[in-house]
Amino acid sequence: MTAATTRAAAGPPAVAGDVLVVEGLVHRYGDLVAVDDVSFRIAPGETFGLLGPNGAGKTTTISMVAGLVPAHEGAVTVTGRSMARDPVAAKAHLGLVPQELAIYPELTARENLTFFGRLQRMRGKELDRRVAEVLELIGLEERAKDLTKEYSGGMKRRLNIGVGLLHRPALLILDEPTVGVDPQSRNAILESVEALAAEGVAVLYTTHYMEEAERLCDRIAVVDAGRLQAEGTRDELVRLTGGVDHVRLSGAGDIGAAAAALRSLPTVVEVAADRSALTLTVRDAARAVAHLVTAATAAGMSLDGVEVSRPDLESVFLHLTGKALRD
Amino acid sequence: MAIAGVELRRFLKDRSNIFFVFVFPLLLVVLLGSQFGGEGPTGRAAVAGPPSELRSDVVHRLEEAGVEVTLSEADAVRQQIARGRTDVGLFLTAADGTSLAAGRDVTVDLVVGSQAGSRLTVQHVRTAMDGVADQAGQVAALTGAGIDAATAERALRTAAADASRPRVTVTDADGEAQQFAGLGRFDLSAATQLLLFVFLISVAGSATLIQARRYGVMARVLAAPVSTRQAISGEALGRFSIAMVQGVYIMAGTALLFGVEWDSWPLSLLVLAAFGAVAAAAAMVVGSVMDNDAAANGVGVGAGLVLGALGGCMTPLELFPDTLRTVAHLTPHAWAYEAFAEIQRHEAGLLDVAPQLGVLAAMATALLVLGGWLLERSLDRAL
Ligand SMILES: Nc1ncnc2c1ncn2[C@@H]1O[C@H](COP(=O)(O)OP(=O)(O)O)[C@@H](O)[C@H]1O
Ligand SMILES: [Mg+2]
Repeated sequence: MTAATTRAAAGPPAVAGDVLVVEGLVHRYGDLVAVDDVSFRIAPGETFGLLGPNGAGKTTTISMVAGLVPAHEGAVTVTGRSMARDPVAAKAHLGLVPQELAIYPELTARENLTFFGRLQRMRGKELDRRVAEVLELIGLEERAKDLTKEYSGGMKRRLNIGVGLLHRPALLILDEPTVGVDPQSRNAILESVEALAAEGVAVLYTTHYMEEAERLCDRIAVVDAGRLQAEGTRDELVRLTGGVDHVRLSGAGDIGAAAAALRSLPTVVEVAADRSALTLTVRDAARAVAHLVTAATAAGMSLDGVEVSRPDLESVFLHLTGKALRD
Repeated sequence: MAIAGVELRRFLKDRSNIFFVFVFPLLLVVLLGSQFGGEGPTGRAAVAGPPSELRSDVVHRLEEAGVEVTLSEADAVRQQIARGRTDVGLFLTAADGTSLAAGRDVTVDLVVGSQAGSRLTVQHVRTAMDGVADQAGQVAALTGAGIDAATAERALRTAAADASRPRVTVTDADGEAQQFAGLGRFDLSAATQLLLFVFLISVAGSATLIQARRYGVMARVLAAPVSTRQAISGEALGRFSIAMVQGVYIMAGTALLFGVEWDSWPLSLLVLAAFGAVAAAAAMVVGSVMDNDAAANGVGVGAGLVLGALGGCMTPLELFPDTLRTVAHLTPHAWAYEAFAEIQRHEAGLLDVAPQLGVLAAMATALLVLGGWLLERSLDRAL
């Protein structure tokens, strides 16, 4: 029997519904409102992303969710337990993977895991077994007895995540876990997050990489300057930009005539022309593209390239904030 | 508690600690022990002057007190002092002897060298001279009562011989030499190094607290189902066990290797515990206020050395001028030093060292409250 199930059996019955409910969170550092009225919910097995640039307020939000800093306004509820009223019970169900490598460098992987397991009130054989399980999960069994300061960056990151998983939390919070990691380790980390979600763990994942948010997250909140700018599935967010795609037709011939012909088509929203190409803003480009090519050719343009680009979270962010996501 | 355990473990695993924690203190005990130790030559005195009863009497008394005495010409004595070959030079004249025998006041010249042990030797010389003067006075009194000088002197000597063992030690005399009575060669240096290192290592160890905050480990600890209070007391307990490991190690090490007598182990451990609590709390304060672990390490070593020196860990407190000695009592070292002194030299009981223990406990409590509060505030910066 695992720690989580033991606790669940002893404590109040597991709450049906959302693992995490965040309502109207506010946190200020002096005059700076780092987090401004942030609300969201995460269901079991769901991966929820906070996507935003550095300084957006992601870490501060997470710190309030994990009960590390007080919420100046608003409330956090983890599996039905209020973080403000019963922090110890609420914390028992969450695992935090901080942005920094929150492990003791002068201890081995096993010692680190054992120590944090104790803090989670795990003991004896059960703890040993779980430590072994997690070591296997993060692929560090062979190096379990080495001091973690001798590990590579990726290994430390994996251990950092492993510590957050030890007590089988219902909610796993990861704060930019792939920053400064080589591509291979990054992929391993993303895979393990996917595997956890598949097991039913609710994940709160922050990142400023839109590819990660797109790949991992069932729902994404776009944050900037402390506020949730928008929230939804990837497709819902993309629709906010107007649900339009871009098609670029490059070539020679009568580009002006082609532009006029295309502009009259109902699926085409906008046409921009230059000497060797047309950039079209189009509804549902996937279906319209063949038609666009025919129309352009008929108008006297000889094409040598067609490029369809669907909007991504980058364009969503640009649309919402007028800024690029990357600095 | 798990936090305390892990702090202790980190401390013991740090290889660079091993030399400073386990080897260095014992080396210093030996080094300082040979300077201030109670047995063996307690000091060196050079005596100049023509042979006289006074001279042989003083020399005899000094040698009794364990001082190594050399007899030389006045010039040779001055040279010895200048070269640091002797701690003090005593210049007797033929007139001194006769004056004293006649019961008159005598002033003798004393030149003191600049070595660390000199002041202590001066005390031995003073004590010896006082003894000579006392006897001269007694002889004079007896002669005054109608007994001839030779008989009186003989009687006094016999009396002194008879009364010998147990010799009467006058503990309330302000002669520093007497204050060190009851000390083995390394006892004093063991006690002072114990204090010096327990404090220094603890405060320097505050660097690990800062690292824990910076690594985000603190954040993770607080995200676990433990209250802030539990986390802070775990930290405090961790610091305290580090202080105790260091302290008990030095106590046991010096007892086994150098035969240091701590006299009352339970009482000595109690003093150590009180002092260790102060050191642990001081470490919490430093670890919470500072954000740079390397700097904290430096501050720990610096403050540890300065407070240690001020508190009598380098030069015995008894040799301090009065004002400095008052200032010294701002340090926990001075109080613990006094407590150890009582225990080691005067076989003091719990009640005798209660004032010192009380002061240490009060210091520890105040610092602990301050440190806990500061640590809690500093956790905001940990995120
Ligand atoms: N301890 C702090 N004191 C003052 N300002 C802070 C502190 N921590 C973060 N901030 C500020 O709050 C804002 C949000 O920071 P943070 O939550 O760390 O953003 P993110 O994790 O999205 O990069 C930033 O402007 C940052 O400078
Ligand atoms: Mg951050």
